[in-house]
Amino acid sequence: MRPSVAARAGVYAVLAAGWVVAAWLLAGSVVPDDLSLPHVDVDATFGSGLVSRAERYERFLYVDWVLAQAAALGILWLYARRGTRFIRESAAGPIGTGMFLGMVGLAIVWLTQLPFSVAALWWDRRHGVSEVGYFEAIFGGWLALGGTFVAVCVALLVVMALARWLGSWWWIPGAGVFAVIAALLVFVSPYLTEGLDPVKDPRLERTYQRFEKEQGVDGIPLRIQKVSGDTSEANAYAFGMGPSSRIVLWDTLLDGRFSNREVDVVLAHELGHHSSNHIPEALGWFALLALPGALVLMLATRRRGGMGEPAAVPLALLVSAIFSLVVMPGQNLVSRRMEAEADWKALQTTHDPAAARGLFEEFSTTSLGDPSPPTWAYLMLQTHPTLAQRVAMANAWQKRNRR
Amino acid sequence: MSSPHAAQRPVRLVVTDDLARRRSTVLFRLVLALPHLVWVTLYGIAALTLVFVVWLAVLFERRAPRTPHTFLASYVRYTVHLTAYLTLAASPYPSFTGSTEYPVDVEIDAPARQGRLAAGFRLLLALPALLLSSTLGGSAALGGWSGVALLSGTGGLAVAVAVLGWVASLVRGRMPRGMRDAATYAIGYGAETAAYALLLTDRYPLATPGRVEPEPELPLHPVAIGVRDDLGRPRLLVAFRFLLVIPHLLWLTLWAAAALLAAIVAWVVALVLGRVPRFLHRFLAAFVRATTHVWAFLYVVGRPFPGFVGREGSYPIDLTIAPPARQRRLGVLARLVLVLPAFVLSSAYSGVLLVVGVMGWIAALATGRMPVGLRDLGAAALRYQAQVFAYLFLLTSRYPDSSPVLRGRSPEPPPLSPLPAEVVP
Repeated sequence: MRPSVAARAGVYAVLAAGWVVAAWLLAGSVVPDDLSLPHVDVDATFGSGLVSRAERYERFLYVDWVLAQAAALGILWLYARRGTRFIRESAAGPIGTGMFLGMVGLAIVWLTQLPFSVAALWWDRRHGVSEVGYFEAIFGGWLALGGTFVAVCVALLVVMALARWLGSWWWIPGAGVFAVIAALLVFVSPYLTEGLDPVKDPRLERTYQRFEKEQGVDGIPLRIQKVSGDTSEANAYAFGMGPSSRIVLWDTLLDGRFSNREVDVVLAHELGHHSSNHIPEALGWFALLALPGALVLMLATRRRGGMGEPAAVPLALLVSAIFSLVVMPGQNLVSRRMEAEADWKALQTTHDPAAARGLFEEFSTTSLGDPSPPTWAYLMLQTHPTLAQRVAMANAWQKRNRR
Repeated sequence: MSSPHAAQRPVRLVVTDDLARRRSTVLFRLVLALPHLVWVTLYGIAALTLVFVVWLAVLFERRAPRTPHTFLASYVRYTVHLTAYLTLAASPYPSFTGSTEYPVDVEIDAPARQGRLAAGFRLLLALPALLLSSTLGGSAALGGWSGVALLSGTGGLAVAVAVLGWVASLVRGRMPRGMRDAATYAIGYGAETAAYALLLTDRYPLATPGRVEPEPELPLHPVAIGVRDDLGRPRLLVAFRFLLVIPHLLWLTLWAAAALLAAIVAWVVALVLGRVPRFLHRFLAAFVRATTHVWAFLYVVGRPFPGFVGREGSYPIDLTIAPPARQRRLGVLARLVLVLPAFVLSSAYSGVLLVVGVMGWIAALATGRMPVGLRDLGAAALRYQAQVFAYLFLLTSRYPDSSPVLRGRSPEPPPLSPLPAEVVP
């Protein structure tokens, strides 16, 4: 074995070992290992009419998603083959041209996804899940699309600059730089999000403070986001990190369809994300996935001169899309574990499994979520446990705590 | 002497003005023009009534009858004379008929065959030209449109020139050549648009500046623009142009902060040494050039995605900036004040550029090509803005040349002083 090959193999081995150890450390959960979820009769719990309606609703969206992915991959394959023609449309240097090709690829993908987005919106509007207008859906997202363009440019700037400097070893620092950028974005995003109002309900405020103490966190602001003009879906989320940590409730959660106890479960769940450090953990997983992702990108683009050359960018977009699809089940598995842990913490905090059950049953009505989706959809699309699994966890918690 | 490009057009602008202005008539120009403003309104009502008859005639006969054609042509000529007088592009008091010669005049061909379809939808087809013409503000025949443009703050190149030219003419007794040429360009385009809208011709107005008889003057300027563009525009890149340019806008914002600091340093150094150090000149020139490249791309004036460093020769719409030269310290000291009139004109050119960008975007999206006139006008507007910033950043001591002419003859050298008479013993 030549020394350079041995060195390379050694580096790979060390990185692989480090990867496994880090993944093992990140995979921990407060949900008891021996917890077995009891069977939930979906029809009896959610109502057979609602279940069949939710299945019909989700089925269309599944087909739409599959077709959208096929179209995106098809167009990216075509772009990978012929996209280099656009090089002559750039007067910029190699990195500038690479950024240009990345943005053009993104624009093409956005165009091909437009019919599927419109179809999904039509379906949502038909089922009363969304109230967003077609014009707004197509032309209202330009700012977000512009943000994506900038993100692609920054990513390509980093990758291409590193690749031109370090050659085929760019992927190791590249993954690190991506993780740092992601952490930065996670940290600053609460400060950039507009339209978040303070809570005006004293009861909600008091309950929230009590839950904060119980979960051992302090001073995380609770905010309300007005979405009721756009959708009837109810949602909440935790975001930010350290001093920028926030919890946000959609105002649709507070419009009277959910009881106070059910809203308390949501509060405790979102606090659970922060008290369990899920956001830094998610960043850790991102870093772990970025490493093999960058390696695959480096290997795939070698025949086009590596990521330092603009001609490699169209192919890199295709490889990135395929890699994202391949790792999607793994990402969803991690996400579901975190959501299950937050559910468990919510139950430990509120001691109210009945309210949790009521909340999940109501979610099925307001969001038309399929309580028990097909396995492939569960693996590829579900970032949360199914509603049936969440009800089962509430039942399991109740059984374990004899309430 | 007619330029071959201008001679092919059915409506031709002829400028024989000598730039001299009598201060007394300049001072009271608007008051003196009051009778004309009343008369042009009445004349316009008659012309608009007649154009309906001409429209029917063209629809049936495919040709305008000679007498109404002559009447409408006289009306267009009259509005050209009046607009030239109002904007100080010419000095003499115009006649009320439009039939006598004037230093800023138009020649309009006799009636020719016209297509029925284009004549039927003439007003609709004329809308883009009317929009551009109103932004240029160079036609009394389109008074209403110009008013709308001025009120909306989008236009009025000719109006900005008139205001600045009024001050300059009062002070110097001469209209600056660049301003006169900017006004005559706006007037010429307005005349072409009016002639098209009034069915005097079916040739669409061409926005390319400098189509004047005789060929206009183009003095050398330390900041010059070069156009090496093939007019082709891939539709995909046109559609997403604004998003594609976002990284450049972010980059230019950062660069602008550094350029501002560099300009302050350059100003202090130039006050002391009488010249800008070469490295600062290079840095600021690259910034001005990069900005021009990016604006050219954004407004569809240029085709390819521009680079980020403003390298000379890297873009089809490119700036050539002369190396640093000595500058008078007084001019350097007062630069911020001196540049103000140029900024007024620059904002008028910005309005023009915006309209060029929007219309060019639609045209290029539909046809895959940028209309040559819009491209040239956009390049002229970009050049003026670049000259303003070059002047502000002390890259040159030459004042910006407000003429939109892109190609023209070199100015004649100054006359030699007469030789001393031979002494005969």
